[in-house]
Amino acid sequence: MDEDLIKDNAMQRARAAQYVLSAVGIDFSYENGYKVFEDVNIDVGQNEFVAIVGPSGIGKSTLLRILGGFLKPDKGAVYLFGKQIKRPTPDIILIHQSIVTFPWLTALENVMLSLKVRNVSDEEAEKAARNALETVGLQGFEDLYPKEMSGGMRQRVAIARALAASPLVFLMDEPFAHLDELTAEGLRQDIYNILFSPDTPLKGVVLVSHNLTEVVELADEIYVLNNVPATVVGKVHVDLPRPRNPRSEEFNQILDALYNYLTPPKVRKI
Amino acid sequence: MNEILLITLAALATAGRVLGLILISIVTGWFLAYAAIKGKIFENIYISIIEVFESVPVISFFPIVLIIFVTRIGGPLGVEMAADFLVFTAVVWNIWMGEYQAFKTVPREMLEVAENYQMSFFTKMRRIFIPFSYPRIAANLFPSVSDGFFYITVSEVFSVGVHTYQTFGIGTVLDSLAASDKTGLIYMALLILAFVIIIIILGLREFSRYAVSRYTVDTDAPIIRRGRLNVKQTTRLLSVVARNPLSRLAGYYRSRVMSRPPEVFEKREMRREKISRYSSIAIGFTILGLIIYSSTDLIISVSHNEWNHLFSITPKILLYLLYDYARVGVILALSFVIAIFLGYYLAMHSRAEGIGVPIIQTLSAYPPPIYFPFIFGASFTAIHSVLGPFTDEFYVLALGFVSTFYYIFYSFWMGVKALPSEYFEVMKNLNMGYFRRMRSIILPGTFPYLISGISSTINSAWGGLMIGEYWPDIIPGRNLSVHYGLMKFIDIETNVGNIAMAAWGSFLFGIVVAIYSIIFTRRMMDLARKRYVAEEGVFAA
Repeated sequence: MDEDLIKDNAMQRARAAQYVLSAVGIDFSYENGYKVFEDVNIDVGQNEFVAIVGPSGIGKSTLLRILGGFLKPDKGAVYLFGKQIKRPTPDIILIHQSIVTFPWLTALENVMLSLKVRNVSDEEAEKAARNALETVGLQGFEDLYPKEMSGGMRQRVAIARALAASPLVFLMDEPFAHLDELTAEGLRQDIYNILFSPDTPLKGVVLVSHNLTEVVELADEIYVLNNVPATVVGKVHVDLPRPRNPRSEEFNQILDALYNYLTPPKVRKI
Repeated sequence: MNEILLITLAALATAGRVLGLILISIVTGWFLAYAAIKGKIFENIYISIIEVFESVPVISFFPIVLIIFVTRIGGPLGVEMAADFLVFTAVVWNIWMGEYQAFKTVPREMLEVAENYQMSFFTKMRRIFIPFSYPRIAANLFPSVSDGFFYITVSEVFSVGVHTYQTFGIGTVLDSLAASDKTGLIYMALLILAFVIIIIILGLREFSRYAVSRYTVDTDAPIIRRGRLNVKQTTRLLSVVARNPLSRLAGYYRSRVMSRPPEVFEKREMRREKISRYSSIAIGFTILGLIIYSSTDLIISVSHNEWNHLFSITPKILLYLLYDYARVGVILALSFVIAIFLGYYLAMHSRAEGIGVPIIQTLSAYPPPIYFPFIFGASFTAIHSVLGPFTDEFYVLALGFVSTFYYIFYSFWMGVKALPSEYFEVMKNLNMGYFRRMRSIILPGTFPYLISGISSTINSAWGGLMIGEYWPDIIPGRNLSVHYGLMKFIDIETNVGNIAMAAWGSFLFGIVVAIYSIIFTRRMMDLARKRYVAEEGVFAA
């Protein structure tokens, strides 16, 4: 291998080791040759809530799947505490836009699923699953089947299942998109406290959304994707006290900054 | 005539018979399905009859077919009709059911457009109902073609007592070639039949692709829901409907429409509705009347002594049936294990799937009664040296397996393909091992498909047993025969011309299978519908 390349890789790894999750120089094309990303860089610091926004169809969900190791980038790499991610791992859990539960399992069994794969004993798995359900506010609903639950409750089950896997990073793909506004608002208010409660080993969260208010309400750092192929066109740091007031002037100033970045995408000749 | 040409014509005649009967099933199914969706009484009778006949193996029709067509009509026409009727009963039920389901699920908006433009019956059929039924017909064509080829080759030549009846086709030609020991030509016939089947399968695959890409409606539109639907083909559709906000709106809309006073309807509309309702009631009662009449006629025509004899032999028949159920159990277990390993592997590896699935599709349509004697001839000595007295039992189970394995394989494979992609991401994300995936996600997620596959596998296993349990001269000088079995009993009684006994055996068999179907299959289907619809686990309201 070329000596410069080895040196570059070592430097990349050393830099990435400072972050919980780090995507470096990501290029990606679909099978039909359409180039989605060019040189995308994302960093998630310790206990940081990072959001990715961008116009519809820009590739936000695709980027999330690259961060989780579900898709392999054409160029660049994703690192978890400096270790390259080459395939999906329970250390990085993806929460889907379409809420995924298993209808033949109760809420408790759904959550226990992520513990059983770690060869935990049944008693321990049940105890941990009950704790996870309690964390997301579903105590008393353990024996309900997903079909007997509302959308918001099902998403809580999915989050509890993810938490029970003791991940280091959460990747959330528009997790409130399929919920009605009242339920979504309730869950948004709870989510930050749930995710970074002392009971979870979670070190970072990446949220993809097209709802800018939601993003400003939750995130510490916001990456804005735009253009074709997509790149990071802006990064906004949100340093507002929590809980955040969407009617405050500072909140709206950040919203305005995001809108400015999200002008119609420019198609670059490549 | 040149023998190769004769073989080719025979293969084409057999294929023509199968395809022609499928075509008849399709066309008649359109009209019956329309009548079913228009009238509740006809619908209930029609669907109940289909459900019972679908669950009774086609082979149990055999003695009845012989009585009606061969002894009452007679001549070459009677033999041809007997063979055709047998194949018709093999291919028709799932096609009729598929068309009925398609007609029931035509989007409401489409029907409203048809009403708005006051389309005539034929325009509605041509422009809406028939095109909408193409994808379901395509889905049902593969099993129908397999079943059709399986039964056509056994029904082209058959014996009752001292009489042998035959009609021109590949089954007859192979029979005469085997009798005159023309091995080279036999291989040629097998090759030509394989070629014809491959062409048909390729054609069906193409039609299937075309039907799905052109005639599948975006199911974002609400659909009508009433009557019974088959889980196998409707799980995805139903889940979309269940979670679709538009369908809820449509529900409110429907209730408003229903609450409108009847005066708003035009008189002409009401008259048409009335005529349609009364005709469907009339058709329903006519069918019911015919069934009651023919059953009564049959019961009266049999003498008291004959009935006594038939009743006295019943415990023996039931014991034989028990033996056969044990055989079906072994075949099912073997098919199940292979299907889930192979089906999952192929569903996960697209390159292997691209080669493996067309091969399995072709093999499934290639009738085992045609090639099995050659496998038997080639392997008998070796198998006999290992299994000794159990050799015949082994071959009967093997024939049952090759006749039926495909159904459960297909169902499972389709089930895996239909699982939401999110489930695969969760499995990868949690690093689930193979057996954990199978136990927690794949098998429960494909449960509705497995139940329908198991049900088809059991039905087809009977066909294999019917042929295998008593096969005189499977190869020159050797019979394949088990010690005990109901299928052997029916075979022998048919062969010696004791039609009453064969029919009684078939009747008892049919009743047991129907009861089993109602108790087991339907319960399992209900359970599958209640809890194991994978698509319902992905919430996107």
